[in-house]
Amino acid sequence: MKPILRQTLPLTALIAATAISIAPSARAEVPASCVKGVDLATLGPKSIVGQGPHGEKAASPEVLALSDADAAKIKEKHFKVGISMQTVNLDWAQLQIQGITDTLKKYGVTVTGVASAEYQVDKQIADIENTIQQHPDGIISIPVDFTATAPTYKKIAKAGIKLVLMDSIPTGLKHPEEYASMISADSQGNGQIAAQILASCMPQGGTIGLVNFGVDYFSTNERTKGVREWMQKNRPDIKMKQVDFTDPPKVSQIAGDFLTGNPDIKGLFAVWDQPALDTLSSMRAQSIDIPVTTVDLGLQSAIEIAKGGPLKATGSQRPYDQGVAEAMAMMNALLGKETPGWIGVQSLPVTQSNVLESYKTVFKKEPPPELTDACNKAKPACN
Amino acid sequence: MTELTAPNVVAASTRTDRRRKLLQNLLRGERPYMLYIAFVVLLVVFSLSSPWFLSLDNFLNIGRQTTLVSIIAVGMTFVIIARQIDLSVASTLALSGMAAALAMSQISNSWIVGAVAGLGTGALVGLLNGILTTQLSIPSFLVTLGSLSMARGLAMMVTNTKPVIITNETYFAIFGEGTFLGIPVPIAWTLVAMIVGILLLHYNVFGRRIYAVGGNPTAALYSGINTKWVTTAAFVLTGALAGLAALVLSARSHAARPDVVQGMELDVIAAVILGGCSLFGGRGYILGTLFGSLIIGTLNNGLVLLGVSSPMQLVIKGAIIVAAVAFTKR
Repeated sequence: MKPILRQTLPLTALIAATAISIAPSARAEVPASCVKGVDLATLGPKSIVGQGPHGEKAASPEVLALSDADAAKIKEKHFKVGISMQTVNLDWAQLQIQGITDTLKKYGVTVTGVASAEYQVDKQIADIENTIQQHPDGIISIPVDFTATAPTYKKIAKAGIKLVLMDSIPTGLKHPEEYASMISADSQGNGQIAAQILASCMPQGGTIGLVNFGVDYFSTNERTKGVREWMQKNRPDIKMKQVDFTDPPKVSQIAGDFLTGNPDIKGLFAVWDQPALDTLSSMRAQSIDIPVTTVDLGLQSAIEIAKGGPLKATGSQRPYDQGVAEAMAMMNALLGKETPGWIGVQSLPVTQSNVLESYKTVFKKEPPPELTDACNKAKPACN
Repeated sequence: MTELTAPNVVAASTRTDRRRKLLQNLLRGERPYMLYIAFVVLLVVFSLSSPWFLSLDNFLNIGRQTTLVSIIAVGMTFVIIARQIDLSVASTLALSGMAAALAMSQISNSWIVGAVAGLGTGALVGLLNGILTTQLSIPSFLVTLGSLSMARGLAMMVTNTKPVIITNETYFAIFGEGTFLGIPVPIAWTLVAMIVGILLLHYNVFGRRIYAVGGNPTAALYSGINTKWVTTAAFVLTGALAGLAALVLSARSHAARPDVVQGMELDVIAAVILGGCSLFGGRGYILGTLFGSLIIGTLNNGLVLLGVSSPMQLVIKGAIIVAAVAFTKR
């Protein structure tokens, strides 16, 4: 066979195979009650519904308030606190850090640095060990993995440093000896919000898909659990199918294939906003238009909700407020006060009708032009 | 009489020889044929295992999902044939995407501005990789390991790790969501990259020089080939294609993020090697790379359709890739 033929024949066959294009079918059969049938005032739990990792009841951030005398003591001591994050590439992480640093600064506490592990266990271990070497008075951290990092977290208490955790507790750490407090959003409550809105968009006997994080992680497990339990209790007619991902960059491919393999799915829940956005990207590519709900609010997910597209709602965390609570818990611990094992931060339902206000609540600033423009184009539904 | 029939006899014997050689190649498991057979075997297995696999929609899925790896793998084929390696492609993609999105949000909300910024940034990173590798004689493994880190850091630094929203509908249509002659544009861009790659590598003096530089750099130098320029050009091409992949990804996502596709360089290299390229240079071809990429994409897709658990997918995928390379090696 001539080289040119050998090179081009399979390619030509491939082009021919793809060129015979048939428009894929959308699957939009959304009831009119979708989102509109849900009263925002009564949506979502009015208190923390989830339990802590050890089955403990949630305490409110209000228990962490400091008296003027306490504040003066803290200012006198010139405490230093280090931060170790799983990543800094999320709006959620940025807001947590901002909440922590703003609050600590107010009381004269210095932040020695913010380390970002980029989801890598070995890097987080090194980050924590390096932070211990700086001899801070406290460390605020979210574990990348609660098993492999546990021995390193145990070193913090041994070094006489106070530890406040976000969202998860490394295996075997004891309260109050080895950590002062763990602060997290009410992940189960957020899951319930996402479930309730998704259910309003589902016909009787419909099937929903759950795009779930396949790694054993407290806060994400709680979200999916919240969706499942709410559906089983309130909409037992709805069938649920689940696909797991372990590598977040692969969500677009996995969700796309999941929808191809399960054409009966008429609604989706994605476990946080970035997987939801990646799922939207694969849905757009396949011309699939079905309602999606998620947990967490970022700028891009806020814009998608404002547009009135497939992303209908999110059960948002309040990461800035959570950061404030973490800083307050740390200062209580530094003063030698007793702090609760688990502090829960209330969920916030976000839909097209309250997205601008919710953005202000979560981000503590005015919505950027990209969001207000998207909302203005979708008036009057968007507010 | 004998003289008159001689050419026919020769032609017939040549055809017979070719058929025998093809059969021998197949039996000995030589590329390219075994690669196509491995691909077809995968198609058959998944078609029999999943009712959803054998459909045009699903093949378009696979095509879209392999777009980024396929586009960059075209450039990586040139680099690997030239006896080099480029580990920075995923970071270059992230940086190029940020450059395109920022150019559209800060300079002018025009798809042309975004495209020029994205492609230009990719080509610039490639140029730096090429210059450092050839002019300073630093191994490309180390140079691109450094630029992997620097490009990713820059991508994160420019917006303090925040994503940049893209609002240009024309940009979405041209690079991410439209169709061209009925083909989804990401696949169309892949085909454009492939065709340009084939023309450059197999029907152009530049391609012959790439093979010469990779096969025997000393001999190539004494033959009058500017080996440094040829090697640098391979890096520039790879960088520019990483820029093109960035345009496709950001148009599909409606945003550029600095943390995208981390670790994708390994998928790209795997596709190129699976496609018949030698890590020692001097051997490889574009079509093999495309099928290498499609084999990986088909595996990813088929295993999800079968409902295989995520950890088991990794095990099966790794085993099949190793088996495919072992089966199709020379």
